[in-house]
Amino acid sequence: MTLDTRSPRTTRVPLRAVPRHVTLALLAALSTFPIVLILSTALKTPEDVRTNPFGLFSSFSWDNIVQAWTAGKFSEYFFNSVLLTGPTTILVLVISTMGGYAFARLPFRGRGLIFYVSTLGLLVPFFAYMIPLYFQLKTMSLLNTYPGVVLVLTSIALPFGLFFMRAFFLELPNEIEDSARIDGCSEFQIFLRVMLPLGAPGLGTLAIFTALQTWNNFLVPLLFLPGGSLRPLTTGIYLFAGGRSAEIGPLAAGTLITIIPIIVLFIALQRQVVAGFLAGAVKG
Amino acid sequence: MSHTTSTVPRPTRIAKARLGYLFIAPGAVLVVTFFIFPLGNALYLSFLDFDGISANPPFVGLDNYVRLLADQLAIDAIGRNFLWVIVGTITPLVLGLIMALALWTLGRGSVLYRILFFLPHLLPVVAVGVVWGWIYNPIRGWLNEALRLVGLESLQRGWLGEPDTALWAVLATAIWATYGFVLIILLSALGNVDEELLEAARLDGTNAVQRVWHIVLPQIVPVFILVTTLTLVGGFAVFDIVFVMTGGGPANASNLLGTYAYANAFQLGNLSYGTTLALVILVLSVPFVIALNLIQRRLSLRNIR
Repeated sequence: MTLDTRSPRTTRVPLRAVPRHVTLALLAALSTFPIVLILSTALKTPEDVRTNPFGLFSSFSWDNIVQAWTAGKFSEYFFNSVLLTGPTTILVLVISTMGGYAFARLPFRGRGLIFYVSTLGLLVPFFAYMIPLYFQLKTMSLLNTYPGVVLVLTSIALPFGLFFMRAFFLELPNEIEDSARIDGCSEFQIFLRVMLPLGAPGLGTLAIFTALQTWNNFLVPLLFLPGGSLRPLTTGIYLFAGGRSAEIGPLAAGTLITIIPIIVLFIALQRQVVAGFLAGAVKG
Repeated sequence: MSHTTSTVPRPTRIAKARLGYLFIAPGAVLVVTFFIFPLGNALYLSFLDFDGISANPPFVGLDNYVRLLADQLAIDAIGRNFLWVIVGTITPLVLGLIMALALWTLGRGSVLYRILFFLPHLLPVVAVGVVWGWIYNPIRGWLNEALRLVGLESLQRGWLGEPDTALWAVLATAIWATYGFVLIILLSALGNVDEELLEAARLDGTNAVQRVWHIVLPQIVPVFILVTTLTLVGGFAVFDIVFVMTGGGPANASNLLGTYAYANAFQLGNLSYGTTLALVILVLSVPFVIALNLIQRRLSLRNIR
């Protein structure tokens, strides 16, 4: 054995790590199994789905994907999801940056109270106020409308966004701000030219986090878009799954279409995604 | 902050406050309009008897709350909520902690594991519900299949369709979707553990369990309590996953306050009673959040000292 020629310390560690690696790999396989199952079922031939829907990778075809994308209207749902997620994310970014900056660096009377009220949104579940909100939207003629849903989605994401951007701007040193002021910058110029560029990494993290939450939101479109126009992927899947002739193949394909952007985003920007979740938790 | 603002000249202070009001306005308007106002309305609604149609619903005081106390379905739902909160908090915490420790000692090469374990937490609840519905499928689902393979056919059942197992099956799914979150946060807390202290303990001849118990865990306790709070809040707020997977059924067997509230409001037209039920969950969760907050504050103060 070549192992004997190495020092005892370096050989001991990898050898001892082997059972741990095996256990972890097994757990990782178990943990990702449902995702593999979606992929496998989505990529089967329709006949194979009928006879053996959950056997892993027993055949291959794009039929289900095509079926879901066209006849299953998932292209439309996908487009609607983008249409809801994009503007919501931009709105959350703009409003959270301004508000978070004010909370962190622009003292005014009543600031503390406003901050506590808005962070209350981190604790209160949406369903605690969804019923009155339904009737409120109806009164405001915002029920079943695109602006209505975007505004509600934005408001749901705002408490975290404000909280997150405040923490971010709090960490920037005062000296930068002071020297810009000495150079004759107005308060707005300090924000726009000096602080905002420094806040860019935070904005990236917040953008990813908000886009994920909005893409995944289910209850808001379910309740506030009852007409079925603008239906995004999440409620699209729900309706498809609950339909009388729910076909497993296209359903799997629709689910795959929904989660592929998330998986790609996460693998590409793993660090930022995790940073968003950490910031939400640890800065509390 | 406070002592720096006092040294700031008055014109700057006024300019800052002016911009502050301007900057906070859009956020404040949205939060008040689409969160605070409907939340206040929820409280008001709980004192009425509103069916969704009548223009002048009668004021009934605390009737909805009294009704709740006498409603066996609601009491059962509250019991299930507590079961959910307890099991659904403890299990991901224990699993997440053990796996975070395993990944932490692994050092390099844990990135792939981190991706794989965290991914479930990022998926939309509807997708999770659909695929776990297949796993629990009574005829060809993987769970029954796995039981058959290990010779436990007697345990096979329609997991989501039977009153005895429905709640547990959904809960297991929720745990699957939660523990990666706990894992990732604890793993980052472990990254800040004092390595020198650990090395010193190692040289003193302590074993791994002693080191974890006496050196590692005390250092991550504040973060651990924080994750506990977040998981707990999430547990009280549970709705989507049950709604998607069982809708509270069969025969109310997996009904939690959230789904029961939804059914009352949107299927039975008891909007006031539904709102009352939804508010009760909020009220129930508050003491736990405050208690954990206090514990955490005390612990982090001790750590600083």
